Amino acid sequence: MNNRFKWLTALLLALACAASPAAADAALLKDLSSVIALLGLPCVKVVKAVALKDGDHLATCQDGNRYRVFVNTAGRVVAQKQP
Amino acid sequence: MPRVEVPVALPAPSSPPVAAPSSAAGPSAPATPARPARAGAAPAAPATPAAPKAETRAPPAEPALAAPPLDLKGLELRLKETSAIGVFTKLALKNQVDDLLAQFRAFHRGQSKPSLVELRRPYDMLLLKVLALLQDSAPPLARAIASSRESIWGILSNPARFASI
Repeated sequence: MNNRFKWLTALLLALACAASPAAADAALLKDLSSVIALLGLPCVKVVKAVALKDGDHLATCQDGNRYRVFVNTAGRVVAQKQP
Repeated sequence: MPRVEVPVALPAPSSPPVAAPSSAAGPSAPATPARPARAGAAPAAPATPAAPKAETRAPPAEPALAAPPLDLKGLELRLKETSAIGVFTKLALKNQVDDLLAQFRAFHRGQSKPSLVELRRPYDMLLLKVLALLQDSAPPLARAIASSRESIWGILSNPARFASI
């Protein structure tokens, strides 16, 4: 019984670990999409995000636009269009 | 069998008052007077579905009336607590709310050019942005904000109430 319980716990943990990064990624992409739209910039949907630093991401939109989204020293969220 | 029903339906044309109660019970008043001649055969049929319709429409009205309008603090708290929007979005929203509050502050001090009428537009736009963000992921909060639109505007536009924020 103990072994079975351990295996089951390990399996559930493995599943949770495998699932949570994907969910976190999806949430981040949605968050970046929302913030870019909120700032009035063109972006259909963020499809890829690369973390440059903490609170600093390079977002790639479905339409090809790329933005660096970060919080500046004044505490404002900025989306800077990238070439 | 159907011929037996026709004579029974004959008294119905002489009864426009029969159509009146059915139109009074349901909101579809204009549709009922158009059919009095033919509807004579089926006065019983529309009467049955009319009653459940009235019952089903009543419950949604009750929660809407029960929900008190949000004030600015309540709105801020609800937006902070919701998991429907991410951290970046929350911070960007806070930036925009702070910008708008600064405009109102300047207006109430007599320092800024935009009039109250001109401030209504950015207020409405910001509220629409918030609603667009929340309407799919947090419909109750979106509804609460939408119904508090005038109440919040009342706070912002009134110097005394704005000062108490």
